[in-house]
Amino acid sequence: MAIKPSQDVPSILGKFGEELYEQIMKEESPSIKIPLRGKSNVFFDDNEKVIQLGDKFSKRHFLNVAHTKKFMQTVLVASYCRRLVEENKHAGIRELYYALKHTVEGSKENTFDDQAESNPIIEDIETALDILREELNLTADRRGYIYGDIVLKDGEDEFNASKLGRGGWAVPGTVEEIDFLNVNAEYILVIETAAMCDRLIEEKFAQANNALLVACQGQAPRGIRRLINRLHNEKKLPVYVFTDGDPYGWYIYSTIKQGSMNLAYLSRRLGVPDAKFIGMTMDDIEDYELQKVTEKLKDMDKKRINEIMEYEWFKNKDWQEQMKKCLKLGVRIEQQALANKSLEFVAEEYLPQKIENQVFLP
Amino acid sequence: MSETKVKHADEIFKSFKMQSVSEFFKKNAAMLGYTGKLRSLTTLVHEGVTNSLDACEEARLFPDLSVFITEIGPEHYRIIMEDNASGIPLDYIPHVFGKMLAGSKAHRNIQSRGQQGIGVSGAVMYSQVSTGKPTEVVTSTGDKVINKVNIKIDVEKNAGEILSRETLKNPEKWRGTRINLEAKNLQYNRSKYGPYSYLKMTAIANPHTRILFVEPDGTKILFDRNVRVIPKNPKEMKPHPHGSSADDILSMIKNSSATRVRTFLVSDFTRVSSKKVEEIEQLSGLDLDINPKKVDWEYAEKLVTAIKQITFMAPPTEGLIPIGADSVRLGLEGILAPEFVHTVTRSPQTYHGGIAFIVEAGIAYGGGAGNNGLDIIRYANRTPLIFDQGGCCITEAAKSIEWKRYGVKDDSAPLTIFVNLVSTHIPYTSAGKQAIATEEEIFNEIRFALMDAGRALSRYLSGKRRASEKLTKKKTLLRYVIETSNALGSLVKADDNSKIIKALTDIVEKKYDFEEANGDEEVTIVSDENGVEEVSENGD
Repeated sequence: MAIKPSQDVPSILGKFGEELYEQIMKEESPSIKIPLRGKSNVFFDDNEKVIQLGDKFSKRHFLNVAHTKKFMQTVLVASYCRRLVEENKHAGIRELYYALKHTVEGSKENTFDDQAESNPIIEDIETALDILREELNLTADRRGYIYGDIVLKDGEDEFNASKLGRGGWAVPGTVEEIDFLNVNAEYILVIETAAMCDRLIEEKFAQANNALLVACQGQAPRGIRRLINRLHNEKKLPVYVFTDGDPYGWYIYSTIKQGSMNLAYLSRRLGVPDAKFIGMTMDDIEDYELQKVTEKLKDMDKKRINEIMEYEWFKNKDWQEQMKKCLKLGVRIEQQALANKSLEFVAEEYLPQKIENQVFLP
Repeated sequence: MSETKVKHADEIFKSFKMQSVSEFFKKNAAMLGYTGKLRSLTTLVHEGVTNSLDACEEARLFPDLSVFITEIGPEHYRIIMEDNASGIPLDYIPHVFGKMLAGSKAHRNIQSRGQQGIGVSGAVMYSQVSTGKPTEVVTSTGDKVINKVNIKIDVEKNAGEILSRETLKNPEKWRGTRINLEAKNLQYNRSKYGPYSYLKMTAIANPHTRILFVEPDGTKILFDRNVRVIPKNPKEMKPHPHGSSADDILSMIKNSSATRVRTFLVSDFTRVSSKKVEEIEQLSGLDLDINPKKVDWEYAEKLVTAIKQITFMAPPTEGLIPIGADSVRLGLEGILAPEFVHTVTRSPQTYHGGIAFIVEAGIAYGGGAGNNGLDIIRYANRTPLIFDQGGCCITEAAKSIEWKRYGVKDDSAPLTIFVNLVSTHIPYTSAGKQAIATEEEIFNEIRFALMDAGRALSRYLSGKRRASEKLTKKKTLLRYVIETSNALGSLVKADDNSKIIKALTDIVEKKYDFEEANGDEEVTIVSDENGVEEVSENGD
């Protein structure tokens, strides 16, 4: 799903403001209706296999002291974004935070005390007005990179992501305008840690297996997720995800596959329901004799396992067995534990064998 | 053992001498309130003031009292107390000021302010003992003359002795009494045990009184009259059978003119009907037709035992004169100028099975209330109890209440707790008569009264808290008006943001004005505590 180019962002924002203006002029208590985000308003869409946003709304009232500040912040951000789009400028979300941070007139208080206050306001506007952050000309810090035989066009620049050195190409927060000129790969391998991705690059894994390597560096940022989504949908490339064998790694996989609760309204644009999980699994410990290089689970880890076991999208036999096994063994296993075999082992045996034999978790 | 020589009774009784009441006083001044420099001064004032208040009440006059205290040497003070009561006829002056136990109420079953019955003669005595000087009494009944006498007490004879006498003309028909005495071993300060506090408390509980007080440093304080009603005179009441012991019965018989026990019971007790007498007769098996003079201890005890098993109507209470909730409120308001007052007069109850009492309580909060925190002011028949606070039933009852539950933040809250116990017989803990014994029924009544007042306080405080929260909320909202309006103005490209600012300000003002008008809580908000926004299932 590409951006609707017809979307007139300034007028949507303007209309939003005018509604508030009308309310105030009619002496009504001004309020903003925002779809509720988070666990209480998401559901797993069995047909589309992604997490979707429910239809619950919250109302932000200016006259409620608990909402007033957020109300003000929302209008501030909306107003700023309208100017950005109209002036055809882009701003990072941290820049937006600094641009809007000032002392509230007539008080000692700041409009925003932390970027953690402005970020959710941006998401509020996205969901409330059904506009993407990208359309608001807001960019996030880039994190994650891609390496492999793909020719990309970003603005004026054309380049092959396998010819940029060992660092690959750092994926920006917004990838809507990137064109895929030539793709010479059979699948995408998404890797949790940069260190593992660097290992695979050094082992020439991409070349040997005709793979695109994408390092998400922890929880996959929006740019990376959108890139994977587009490559999967537009170039029909299968997606395999390779993370640590622990609840956090598995949750990274689930976010890539079916979206996240927080950005449930974007799941269809970001999720890859067909993605497969390649490892690490609890079975790997036995299969590859990695018992000596496991790490003990902490209480927090166990709690997290119990939590994600309850998520609808993990409620299938394979995953439930993984989790139970993990709790039973009381250990986790990192990607890099494979180095215990040899540095080349992951590139030469572990991954090729799994892909060859289709040893995946759903 | 062998070293101790056993004394024969004759030897002991050689030194035993019948003491006059006055001598008894001299030796037991402490018991009568003359102990410690500050307390002695307060007691002197107390005796004079009580005397005056009683005199005014009896004469149905609004009391106008003046108390002057001047320092005339180290620990040496002059005290002048004046009233506008009916004055004292010349012949009675020695009797009133010179004889101990001259009080007219001490032996009667009546609610009385004067507690010791030693009264103002005690003050004369103290002055005399500490300085050797007589007390000057100036009094007139409002006729042509004013009598001015110097009086002393003949300690041996327990009688007043007029040393000198002067007759002055009274062209202005002045009426009243002024006593002027000096005494040593005294100390003045404004602590809660001093005359200032005593007079202030007196003014609160006697709001029909005006008291002018001049302190030793010349400071004049007027505790003004706040009520235009003179309290009713208490009536003498016959004792209730349940309150009487064998000893009481024997002493009552002495003063009774009844010829048969049967009639004695009916006529000398309250609530004893002839039907009840029959019950007593049956239960005790006594012959009630004998002459009461023949009743001995054993007989009396049997009578008491039988009486205890019979239910009598509760004693009549018309003899008890409470100050009245309204007057207490006016007194507290007038003297303390607090933010909030609530007063309660409970209905009469009995303790010990037959002694009637009434509890009155009040709570004053803020303003001049509280004495840097919780201040419990105690009264027995409207007389302030100043000393022995710790061991008093009122203090215990007041402290047994968890004031926090009534919205009182901590011990430093400006709170005055007023309790007046009204009864024909106040159960004091000791002869000092400054603390009330913890009788369960009295304790509970005080608690009930205070909890009642506490609930009213709680309502007031939470209303106050709500009002201040409301103000805070309003301020918070107003703080964001300009910023929000400017942002909105730029979002909609308005020409003039001031229009938005004004409209939004009006909305905020209106919301809070409206709420103040009808006292409604915010109803449109799901929660304002944790910032959870209103959730609707389907939008609208």
